Amino acid sequence: MSATLEFVRASRWYGQVIALNDVTTTIGPGVTGLLGPNGAGKSTFLKLAAGQLAPSQGEVRMLGQPAWGSPELFHRVGVCPEADAFWEQLTGLQFLLGLLRLTGYDEAECRQRAENALHEVALLDAKDRKIGGYSKGMRQRVKLAQALAHEPEVLLLDEPVSGMDPVNRRRVVDLVRRLGRAGRTVVVSSHILHEVEAMTRRVLLIHNGRILAEGDVREIRDLMDEHPHTVALRARDTRALARAVVGLPHVISLTFGAEGEWLTVQTAKPDELYGNLAAAAEEAGVSEMYSPDENLESVFRYLVAG
Amino acid sequence: MRDTSRPVPFARAARAVFDLALEGMVWSRRSLFMAVLLGLPIVFAIVYRVVLATHIPPRVTPFDLYGLLVVPYYLRFAVPLAALFYATALIADEVEGKTLTYLLTRPIRREGILAGKFAAYVVTTLSLAMPAVIVTFFALMTVRGRTGLGAAVPDLLRDLGVLALALLAYGALFTLMGVLLKRPLIPGLLFVFVWELLANLPGYLPRLTLTAYLRSLVRHRPAEEGLSEIFGQVLPAALCLEVLAGAVIVSLAAAAWIFSTREYVMDQ
Repeated sequence: MSATLEFVRASRWYGQVIALNDVTTTIGPGVTGLLGPNGAGKSTFLKLAAGQLAPSQGEVRMLGQPAWGSPELFHRVGVCPEADAFWEQLTGLQFLLGLLRLTGYDEAECRQRAENALHEVALLDAKDRKIGGYSKGMRQRVKLAQALAHEPEVLLLDEPVSGMDPVNRRRVVDLVRRLGRAGRTVVVSSHILHEVEAMTRRVLLIHNGRILAEGDVREIRDLMDEHPHTVALRARDTRALARAVVGLPHVISLTFGAEGEWLTVQTAKPDELYGNLAAAAEEAGVSEMYSPDENLESVFRYLVAG
Repeated sequence: MRDTSRPVPFARAARAVFDLALEGMVWSRRSLFMAVLLGLPIVFAIVYRVVLATHIPPRVTPFDLYGLLVVPYYLRFAVPLAALFYATALIADEVEGKTLTYLLTRPIRREGILAGKFAAYVVTTLSLAMPAVIVTFFALMTVRGRTGLGAAVPDLLRDLGVLALALLAYGALFTLMGVLLKRPLIPGLLFVFVWELLANLPGYLPRLTLTAYLRSLVRHRPAEEGLSEIFGQVLPAALCLEVLAGAVIVSLAAAAWIFSTREYVMDQ
């Protein structure tokens, strides 16, 4: 993975408060979810990436250049801030036109790009209405449109779906996924787990200013050796299945689910379990199998609690 | 063709910021308040024409009255106050409104942002102050006919120039205060209404004020302005222009340097 964004032992503190502590990571093309509770350091991470803050220590590089003090980067980087802040007297179109002019486009191209971006976030019909009269969801979308309008290679989105209704949330999630598939680097922060999970499986978990884990949710899960892995199996004969696995040295516990259809196995070595299950699964008539641990919420809970 | 390896050229960036800032600045409550403040002498001039002209002794000429308005009211009060309220807010408003992020995440140098906003301030305040002074001038100077009006017009033009210079000088200083201090309003008010009184003292102290230089450039100073009547210093015009230009350049350069190196943390 080629690095678009690099943090090298980067720390940032405000007075006595450490917001980000000795962070080293690289982020490449595709969608990366920045996940953590409020106050974890997500916004500081994004502000450092967007060159809004200088690292107190270490280095932050965007597209090979120092993020701080390189305004030319914003030809290629789009930022959607978290704050619900606008020049309220402007219409949606004027807002985008004004910001596109600051990106150096001529008037005709500004207009075309502004309208394209408004269309992308389904706001073209409301382009001539003042932002002051927009709903919360519309304000979120126009904020996203200004980040997209110059078609940047890198997008830094701070809580982009916060306050949106389910329909628009779906639309934005689809848009983010599409941008990721198109090879853009999208870093999207959220404290709501299922929001991130809907956009990507590649996550960076931040807690108390430190990166707790990064990578695919399943890979992260595999790293947590101290925690048992859970595998849920739906079978015709769960008792036969239980008999097949109960003596295995890596199996920690077995739980029967409602109506005896489900068996939940906790194991220290999931790969060995999957190998051992091959024969027994056929005999017991296993029809469904999943790991609840691959759900982002459970991973996050484990990591933070750990 | 855009060169994406460099920031947008300074002049183009400043112009785009100017366009964006001007609209918000002109149609603001601040401008409404300032229009009232700067337009008050017009009301006075009209009242004078209608009511007072017949009762005031002929030795107090409309020209004296106009001179009284230009220096004490505009130069010592309305213009510094307008500069204080607009210029300290150039960046502070964006920080408070959390909209600065939009400007700081564009491929433009921060100096361009400051220049564009300062230009918007100058245009806004000039378009509020100049018409008010012109209307006041003609309303007062034509009370007793148009005799001598032609000869007085060059003075009006000079006054307008001095007022423009005052808006630039105070504006640059307060822009610097705005980027330097978190709460610049009180220090700004102290500067206008306390520090600038040094202009009325004898010796070299008046040279530490902007008022002394601006006042020296005005041709018709009022007869009574406190201690200045006694110590009344008129500094050479060339010196005044040099000092005022220097104050503008130094203040703006310092403000641009501070703004371009400072971090702005917009609280959520």
